[in-house]
Amino acid sequence: MEPRLIGWINRWVNERWPLSSLLRLSLDEEIPGGSSFFYTEGSAILIIFALQVVTGILQLFFYVPTIDHAYDSLSYLRTEVPFGWLIHGLHYWGANLMIVVLVVHMLRVFIWGAYKTPRELVWLAGVLLVMITMAFSFTGAPLPWDQSGYWAGEVGTSIAGTTPLIGDLAKRLLRGGENMGQLTLSRLFVMHTSVLPLALLALFGLHFIAFRTSGAVGPWDALKRRVPGPFWPDQAYKDILMGTAIFVLLIFLSVFVPPGFAGKVDVLDTTYVPKPEWNYLFLYQALKYFHGPLEPVGSVGVPTIIVLLLVMLPFIDRGPERNPLRRPFVMLCGFIFCAALLALTLIGYYSPGRAEMSGSSSGKPVVAGPQLSARSGQAGQKDNGMQIFQSAGCTACHNVEGTGGTIGPSLSGGALIGKGRAWTVEQIRNPRSHNPNTIMPAFTSLSGAQVDILVSFLVGPGSVSASQQAGAAEAGSSSQLSPQLENVPQMGVKQQSSPEAVSGAMVGEAAREIGNSERGAVLFKNYCSSCHGPKGTLGMPNPGSDEGNVPRLNPVSRALYSREPKIFAADIDRFIQHGSVPPGKRPSLGMLAFGDTNTLTQQEIANVEAYVMSINGVDRAQIINPGLKPRNFFILIVVIYVLILLIQGGIRIKKNIE
Amino acid sequence: MEQEGYTPEAGQEDTTRRRFLKWLLGIIAAVNVFIAGIPFLRSLAGPAAKARSGDWLKVASISSLPEGRPVAIRFMAERQDAYIHNTVLHSAWVIKHSPDEITVFSPVCPHLGCYYQWDQRLGRFECPCHASVFALDGKVLGGPAPRPLDTLQTRIDNGNLFIKWERFQVGTPSKVTIA
Repeated sequence: MEPRLIGWINRWVNERWPLSSLLRLSLDEEIPGGSSFFYTEGSAILIIFALQVVTGILQLFFYVPTIDHAYDSLSYLRTEVPFGWLIHGLHYWGANLMIVVLVVHMLRVFIWGAYKTPRELVWLAGVLLVMITMAFSFTGAPLPWDQSGYWAGEVGTSIAGTTPLIGDLAKRLLRGGENMGQLTLSRLFVMHTSVLPLALLALFGLHFIAFRTSGAVGPWDALKRRVPGPFWPDQAYKDILMGTAIFVLLIFLSVFVPPGFAGKVDVLDTTYVPKPEWNYLFLYQALKYFHGPLEPVGSVGVPTIIVLLLVMLPFIDRGPERNPLRRPFVMLCGFIFCAALLALTLIGYYSPGRAEMSGSSSGKPVVAGPQLSARSGQAGQKDNGMQIFQSAGCTACHNVEGTGGTIGPSLSGGALIGKGRAWTVEQIRNPRSHNPNTIMPAFTSLSGAQVDILVSFLVGPGSVSASQQAGAAEAGSSSQLSPQLENVPQMGVKQQSSPEAVSGAMVGEAAREIGNSERGAVLFKNYCSSCHGPKGTLGMPNPGSDEGNVPRLNPVSRALYSREPKIFAADIDRFIQHGSVPPGKRPSLGMLAFGDTNTLTQQEIANVEAYVMSINGVDRAQIINPGLKPRNFFILIVVIYVLILLIQGGIRIKKNIE
Repeated sequence: MEQEGYTPEAGQEDTTRRRFLKWLLGIIAAVNVFIAGIPFLRSLAGPAAKARSGDWLKVASISSLPEGRPVAIRFMAERQDAYIHNTVLHSAWVIKHSPDEITVFSPVCPHLGCYYQWDQRLGRFECPCHASVFALDGKVLGGPAPRPLDTLQTRIDNGNLFIKWERFQVGTPSKVTIA
């Protein structure tokens, strides 16, 4: 366009709207000592926020905040919408990086002494912005309504509930009632997408105008401050370079470290150990040091003290000196403050919860450490028995203390105490000797010592000696336990059908959910490996069936395998839901109907399916419509940026620009 | 974006360098917007439609079907709309010629998509909308229908009839699967 025309438009607009003044406010600034990469974090935060707004709005096109569809709608976005993986990945990593850059920004302002008179308001608005950002993190995490987000929300709102006097009200306000549910999700959603963004914009205005009013602080060294430099374009250029670097980093993380699929909310799945997001770990850890009536000190006192310290900083440290070397006391306090937060975060990260998850024990939620160490002697042996009970696969059919299936009789509370040791050993080693119709497999692979521990666990260690009890137990065996056992095959026949018929049956909810294969592995070990072998690599003998063995799942039969994750999941889902009886005269083992009998929840079945698929080389969370394959997309953008770098370098050399 | 009212200090009026920086800044910003913007727009445009054959659905046991006479059977099928899955009721016309020879017609008239009826008295299918008439084997006997009745894939397994539910483009002489 002609310069005259631009001038005319410029005048026309400015007579009616203060465009030039606004541009001057945002761009026209002198920085004492000139531009620096040290000053780029503020703009970087703004750029990340802009990206959060855009990716957030895009997610709203797909996500629905309802407890029955939130997880599936997000899974759909991430796997079936072109570049949905990128949108969600950028939002997820942007949220994390935002907090990192905020911390860097605060540290820089602290070291530079940029909160001192007349810049107290800039600092105060900044502290509020940090709190808003933490609130974004808190309200955003539960929105997928997956295991990790749900528990973060559950624990977070419970912490609010420990506040003295107003705790109950606060909790109810956050949850929309007593319990976590649809109203909670709606609330968190509205906070995350309407209330907090508006609050953040308002505070950003306050922060930014206060900043421009007082101006940039520049270096503390008076000599270095002498030569000023403009914000536009010198600092803005450095800002956009930093912003671009962050953008590329976010894409890199989205491509190579995509956020996981934690599986849909399932309060019954005890293989999940709740842990807060990394940015709340310091609070999680601090909470562990306060028990009983002191709990509010940790849950409310610690964050209040942190916020108060931050708010008071410009009013405590009031001297004009900005050189960090000349204010050692404040720097030391700041260092201790940061070290404490970092230490709590690291201790929280490495605390038992995580170790428990990889272990073979029940993996029940462990919130506080001391519970772990309270076990000894008798209890230890019981644990050991429970461990074998689970790892041998007994939990697939038998329920003990609330864990396990319903296909076989419940073995809680010394159900076998009247049977004696010898009967129980025989029942484990050769169950058909007691009931020729039983579908219970013979556990011949357990060692004598393991069976011993298992029997002690089921019968009780000091009950009756084996030899005394053997005969009596044999005599009474049919009266007490058999009625329950006789139910088993009947139930099996009703629920199970031949593999061909199963292939036409309806798939369950689980087949449509993207499960978590890591937790599926734990379930597989407890429920499936007794027949299908560890990691599905073996098929136990199955006399009476045409095959002679239980089918191996690693590799799985070609008839069930599919490269398309949805089809693969549906194929194996029908068997896990409804069970099946293998062809043959009288197969001793049949696939149990884990879904129909509620032995596993749909979410747990989804996890097992994800695991079975993973051992067959198929990722349940595979991106079906990537738009462009993530790796290729990353290569493409790197090529673009490298080209720009080379071209601008060439121009610089040719035109002799520094 | 030129600013007036700002006079650079001594040593800052390096105009070539500054003009170059502004250009570069603008180009990098534009590239960033494109790199983010194109995938974002693409996500809203959605995936290209991909016809996928459905699952085998068990619709009837063979022994319950009468021989040589069409019956309308109803069955549940799963429908997926983005991330919402629900089961919908479909119907189809089944003709058992013999226990191992079965034809299944889509209930949708290939003319304009109405659901046609079987006239027992005249022994033919009739569409109430535009009076297309089809024989028992699906051939067009009269009316505007551009092609015979559409057959659905069938499979007989263990005495049960399985079919694959599909829909076809209407109004065209050839049978084209649409969903």
